[in-house]
Amino acid sequence: MDQFKKKFFEEAFDLIQDLEDSLLILEEDPDSSSHIERVFRAMHTIKGNSAMFGFSHIDRFTHNLETVYDFVRQGKLKITSPLLTATLSAVDQLKTLLNEGDTVSDETMAESLRITEQVNSFIAGTAKVGEEEDRGLALLAKDADIASTYFISFKPHADIFKTGTNPLYLVDELCSLGRSITYAHTEAIPELSLEMEADSCYTAWSIFLATTEDVNALYDVFIFVEGSCEVDITLLAGIDLLGNTQFSDRIAELYLAGGAFNAAELKHYAETLCTSEQALECAQTARRTVTTKENTISSIRVSSDKVDGLMNLVSELVTMQAQLSLFAEKSLLPELSAISENMDKITRRLRDTAFGICLIPLDSMLTRFHRLVRDVSKELGKDVAFITEGTDTELDKTVIENLADPIMHILRNSLDHGIESAQERAAKGKPAQGTIRLRAFYSGTNVHIQIFEDGRGINPETIRAKAIESGIIGADAVLSKQETLDLIFRSGFSTAARVTELSGRGVGMDVVKRKISEIRGEVEIDSEVDKGISITIKLPLTLSIIDGLLVKISETYFVIPLSAVDTIYAAKHTDLKKYNNMVVLAGRQMPYVYLRTYFDYPANDEDQEQIVVVSYSDISVGLVVDRVVGEYQAVLKPLGKAFKSLDFVSGAAILGDGTIALVLDTTRVIRQATAR
Amino acid sequence: MAEEKLVLNSYLSFKLGEEIFAANVSKVLNILEMTKITQVPKSPPYMKGVINLRGTVLPVVDTRLKFGMSATEFTPNTCILVMEVEVDGEALQVGGLVDSVQEVLEIDLKEILPPPNIGSRYRSEFINGMYKLNDDHFIMLLDMDKVFSSDEALFLRESTPDAGNDNQF
Repeated sequence: MDQFKKKFFEEAFDLIQDLEDSLLILEEDPDSSSHIERVFRAMHTIKGNSAMFGFSHIDRFTHNLETVYDFVRQGKLKITSPLLTATLSAVDQLKTLLNEGDTVSDETMAESLRITEQVNSFIAGTAKVGEEEDRGLALLAKDADIASTYFISFKPHADIFKTGTNPLYLVDELCSLGRSITYAHTEAIPELSLEMEADSCYTAWSIFLATTEDVNALYDVFIFVEGSCEVDITLLAGIDLLGNTQFSDRIAELYLAGGAFNAAELKHYAETLCTSEQALECAQTARRTVTTKENTISSIRVSSDKVDGLMNLVSELVTMQAQLSLFAEKSLLPELSAISENMDKITRRLRDTAFGICLIPLDSMLTRFHRLVRDVSKELGKDVAFITEGTDTELDKTVIENLADPIMHILRNSLDHGIESAQERAAKGKPAQGTIRLRAFYSGTNVHIQIFEDGRGINPETIRAKAIESGIIGADAVLSKQETLDLIFRSGFSTAARVTELSGRGVGMDVVKRKISEIRGEVEIDSEVDKGISITIKLPLTLSIIDGLLVKISETYFVIPLSAVDTIYAAKHTDLKKYNNMVVLAGRQMPYVYLRTYFDYPANDEDQEQIVVVSYSDISVGLVVDRVVGEYQAVLKPLGKAFKSLDFVSGAAILGDGTIALVLDTTRVIRQATAR
Repeated sequence: MAEEKLVLNSYLSFKLGEEIFAANVSKVLNILEMTKITQVPKSPPYMKGVINLRGTVLPVVDTRLKFGMSATEFTPNTCILVMEVEVDGEALQVGGLVDSVQEVLEIDLKEILPPPNIGSRYRSEFINGMYKLNDDHFIMLLDMDKVFSSDEALFLRESTPDAGNDNQF
């Protein structure tokens, strides 16, 4: 049971994400019927699932929400900003309820009630919630291919409960096959008296169902209760009549008039309607087909443990492959090297595919950010547009997981301190609406995420004064503009004059920086007074297997990530020492790092050396090594805590013959080597 | 190995120079012959480097340097003890170079003498106790967790002044 519950929670959180997404889109485009539909459907599924797993409080809570959106769907209620705000807070409450699971605290219950009341107030004017349900009018829409409309008359025998059957489940199951309108016939229910038997069923149902399933599927629903009910299924038309208002009005009329439906009469009526409406209806169903196809994109849910397991296996395979290649090279069997080469190709492809599985687009975090910007800007009474670009950029899932918090923090800061109020902006001649732009893109071996806002910016003088005041720097410190701006990443530094609820508790940007360094990333900041601030987060595409260039320095092998490598030149040692760490290669002057010296290795006896040119920020830098061995697929293994301080080594790789090579983080090597 | 782990009064003795030390066998996972050690540049001198232990990367410490002796000279008797130590509540595998491995001793708790406070060249917090092997020799029973953790930072600070931060492992 626990595993089903886990599944339920997983699914519920997904649905909530979807719900939030759609709600935010509705804010932009309140009339988008497809998104109203999505909101409704997500709510409906959450409701159904939670009822199934016995979370009755969630069921009740969601039921109210669903009712409201049913009105919206029917056009009886307009989407308004207060309604969305209430709904979003209800969605938050839903999250709390789900997190608390079985043990719901009293406060949470009270909060649920409060929100329910608030939500209900929106439909108070439209209709009473209870009545609507009593009439048994349950509209359930589902996208459909070319559907047929059936009329199903379902009359359970009075003793159906004795077999342990709940006829409502059957009705539900039937309705789940397509779009349906259900009417309950309650005339047979006797007056509340001694004659009434509590365990007898007095109700019958008439269901109008538009479905793509064939008639046998409909009969199948009743397969277990064949003996204890009367089921009559009539095909009314080969198209979806339920979308036709004329038809639905007509049956509603019939129901109100007498209750009972006559199958033959209905069929006749349907036929007359059909001929006139067919063309239009067909067009409609065709359009619907398209959207259905989109919804059924084949993706599967796999637990991350399994993915990690796969990655480990692929890593081991790559290591074994290296051994095989080495062995094939040494042995003189021509067949073996052919096999080994083919294996190598397949291994590479398998590796790339396995990686693809671990990569998640940045999109997956966006809803949270949109929500944050919306809520905070509302709270602060600022008008802010949040624009995102390049959010299909993919990152490793662990990186994504650790990235959300820092970005949230940056956004919160921007909203709170960066973007000015509308009046202030007007006075400065800026557009009243502030803009926060989030841009993600690949750059060499890195992914860059830039967050730019056009707020008041940071004045280096203010930072300086603040830093001197809080003792971070001395009064006589000489700092460049960049160095001054970087001070905000120091702990205990908060520029905001006032401390607000949102940010400015003094645990700000230093936490952001620390969090991002934990995932081997870097943060940079730039700002112009009154123009805004841009914060760039640079993240390595660190994956557990990389294509690398194997080089040898002294007795040690090193791997340089191939994605950073530009060109390789041969050089004479004697030529290198002439200039001040500058060498002329192919007519270009280029700075270089002599790795032997940097690593404190003894001097090289050989005169012939090689320079690997790698890209570093925007320039090219040469790394001088003894010898380039060749291309190598490196499985990155952590060096462990013992070498935590050595951040220029991103890990170790085991070579085919079992020796260990160290994988270099070229950016850090160059930065540290040139800092001296 | 697993069976021996349960016997808590078994100690593996090894030599560093002329001195004999012993570690509780529950801490020792493996004894390896000397193999090729890949040096890691810019690491403290006592960090000898890393080795490939059946596909995982194992850091190797020159135990002699850690105990203030001269660096290990490799002989056919030199071994790597693969140990599992607990550092800050985390289990960690580390290899330690020793000059030679001696034997497994069954030492009764009663026979363990308290560590000497004065006159020892080694810091008493590393030592769980002393055991008198014979008339000439005492064995120092080491607390491996402490050897590789708490005072690690002190050693580090002495050897690499520029690496300053929390350099434990």
